[in-house]
Amino acid sequence: MGREVAESCVDAVVIEMVSAFCHKFYSAEPELAARRIEAIGYQVGHQLVERYTMDCPRFTDHLEAIKFICKEFWSELFKKQIDNLKTNHRGTFVLQDNMFRWIARISPNPLQENSTESSTPNDDNQAAQTTSMHLYFPCGIIRGALTSLGIPCAVSADISNRPACSFVVRIKA
Amino acid sequence: MQFFGGSAAAEMTPSPAAPPGTATGLAGNNANMLYIFNRNGVCLLYREWHRPLHTLDAQEDQKLMFGLLFSLRSFTAKMDPTSVDKGNLGVPLLPGQGCSFYSFRTNTYKLSFMESPSGIKLILVTHPKTGDLRDALRYMYNLYVEYVVKNPLYVPGSPIKGQQAELQGSSRFERVEGSGQQVHKLPILDSNPIQGKTNSG
Repeated sequence: MGREVAESCVDAVVIEMVSAFCHKFYSAEPELAARRIEAIGYQVGHQLVERYTMDCPRFTDHLEAIKFICKEFWSELFKKQIDNLKTNHRGTFVLQDNMFRWIARISPNPLQENSTESSTPNDDNQAAQTTSMHLYFPCGIIRGALTSLGIPCAVSADISNRPACSFVVRIKA
Repeated sequence: MQFFGGSAAAEMTPSPAAPPGTATGLAGNNANMLYIFNRNGVCLLYREWHRPLHTLDAQEDQKLMFGLLFSLRSFTAKMDPTSVDKGNLGVPLLPGQGCSFYSFRTNTYKLSFMESPSGIKLILVTHPKTGDLRDALRYMYNLYVEYVVKNPLYVPGSPIKGQQAELQGSSRFERVEGSGQQVHKLPILDSNPIQGKTNSG
């Protein structure tokens, strides 16, 4: 496909983007920062899926499209497929990735000099917050990709056990 | 991957000049320490596994170590018989400049050193019979890049605290150092900060 970029560059850009939106642009309103990040993800997903489905026939139903996202699309982005796909056959899909790269490296960094004890709830909180901020971008990517395939939906992420994370896709009827 | 072949407990014989008990190696009298400095001299990480003698307080010790390496690098670069261009002795060297100094060895310990192009210095103090640890140091530098630099919550230039991966790194170090030796085992999956023996720079 032509030109390539080192993965560290992509990682660094994503980290910096999240950090810039959370701390510089919308530092007082994390909600707005989250929306902007998700909107960026939407654009990216929209365009990426155009490229990756160039030679594919149209998808017959929603499940096929979701399977495409889980397999080909995810492999192009993260060099692995989604590990687990669950559905309730009524428009909700749960995509589970057991080792999501972009949040795999987050670990709490206690700022206090005196903390020699195990990480305080504050640090875990901070780690959880950062993780959820980082997850808005891939949520946006999935939403953009599915919308571009003709399936309007809402995507949210769930990080109950790091580094595994699940993306919940709800298709709007 | 074999990092070194030299330090199995079985083949150790003390060299004649060493004080008795030095070369036994089995949880014995050997210093095993790790320092990581950034280019400004801030000690990002200090780990010790076995250090029988603490002469200075931690801050002083780290400053001393950094100063030692700074001067040693400068000195070895100026003494280099193969290089043509030598600046003045007092001028600080950039990370790639001059020949790179790898290690020095005394009768009681060996200090191995590696400097990355970004100025991150890794120092490992080990048993004197240890072989070349450059690969181990490079591996540790890779761990640093993977887990510390790529962590969104890490503030560059601040001491490394409570990183899960440093514990993984330390367990790797133990495998390097301790083939055959009894070493202090640290938990791998724990994400607690390194307790007690870590000092902030």
